Amino acid sequence: MRAEPPRKKKKVDPKKDQAARDRLKKRIRKLEKASQELIPIEDFITPLKFLDKSRQRPQVELPFEESERRALLLKKWSVYKQQEHDMERDAIRAMLEAQQKALQELKLESPELYAEAIKRDPRLFPFEKEGPNYTPPISDYQPPEGRYNDITKVYTQVEFK
Amino acid sequence: MAAPVKYTLSGVTRGWRRMERLWAGSLGSRSLSLATAPSNNRSPWRLLGALCLQRPPLISKALTPLQEEMAAVLRQIEIEQSLYSDHELRALDEAQRMAKKKADLYDDEQDEKDILLVQDLEDSWEQEFQKFKPGDRVTADKKNDRTSLHRKLDRNLVLLVREKLGDEDVWLLPQTEWQPGETLRGTAERTLGTLSENNMEAKFLGNAPCGHYKFKFPQALRTESNLGAKVFFFKALLLNGDFSQAGKKGHHVWVTKDELGDYLKPKYLTQVRKFLLDL
Repeated sequence: MRAEPPRKKKKVDPKKDQAARDRLKKRIRKLEKASQELIPIEDFITPLKFLDKSRQRPQVELPFEESERRALLLKKWSVYKQQEHDMERDAIRAMLEAQQKALQELKLESPELYAEAIKRDPRLFPFEKEGPNYTPPISDYQPPEGRYNDITKVYTQVEFK
Repeated sequence: MAAPVKYTLSGVTRGWRRMERLWAGSLGSRSLSLATAPSNNRSPWRLLGALCLQRPPLISKALTPLQEEMAAVLRQIEIEQSLYSDHELRALDEAQRMAKKKADLYDDEQDEKDILLVQDLEDSWEQEFQKFKPGDRVTADKKNDRTSLHRKLDRNLVLLVREKLGDEDVWLLPQTEWQPGETLRGTAERTLGTLSENNMEAKFLGNAPCGHYKFKFPQALRTESNLGAKVFFFKALLLNGDFSQAGKKGHHVWVTKDELGDYLKPKYLTQVRKFLLDL
């Protein structure tokens, strides 16, 4: 080993290694770009079995009275909804006014309490509450036992750097 | 409420706090600045924090006739515009096959899928549905018991308490006197605690009061700096829990907005009705 002449390849080696590494990195980047699939939105894709023609219902010819009744009902419904909206808007406005008046009174009383009252409440949100159902909850209800297989498809997306 | 005794106590504390404020004002620590309440020595009103505890509805309201009609029409339209489902296709196929069998009297299509007819499936589903007994929509309304939480499941219920103010027995929303050193919302929370002995959990909807009520004391009780009181109402939603006491100390009642008129005095009522939403 001592008799070997010294090797003169020191300058070229790092350059070659660098070049090799860059080529590898380029290839990796190309692969990552190619595998960037978007997660499919299942609602927007019609399953093929629903494009079958035998599934289509025959067009129903509505009698004249029926279509008239429906049109009149829609008009009544729109009037009813408008009244409902007006009532809700007035109720909300009354509540806001009452709150503003209360705050004004509080301001007259003591500015510190007013300042405290105006502050945001960080514990208010997130606020979750289940809405009213059709029937009230049954006390001591025993749900039927059984196992289930969860077949929801879970997609993961690779982060592109 | 022992009004004169409380006044002298708070008068003493107010004087002392005024001295404290002179050198502690710049520190600005929260409890100190609230405790000073400098305007108290100027304004003759006493502060009370009240609690508007609401039980949100458990079931949805019954539909009006117009809503029923509209719902029926929408269901019709949905059926008309839709495609045949698997179940319906199967029913159509079986109807065809039955018609063929009767017409041709051939038995070449053996009983492959005739084990379970569509009709049998529907019958079994119907039976299973009948077995399930859902909760009753109309409950304590039968007894008309106003103190129970299970009445009027489709409306918002508000808590009313009966207390003695001076000489008379008065129905009002639960309230307590404000103490220096706490916010008004803290007063309302304290009211909740004393009422229920920490049995009820409520979610307070923000720091600001939703309404107020001003009243002056009768001439006998009025003094120079004690003209009357201001009550500030805070809204809270009842999450769970109920009264542990069976109406011992004061009487309590859960009422809807319409029934408030049976209990509250007119001026108080008008102020309270402003901030209650009647669905």
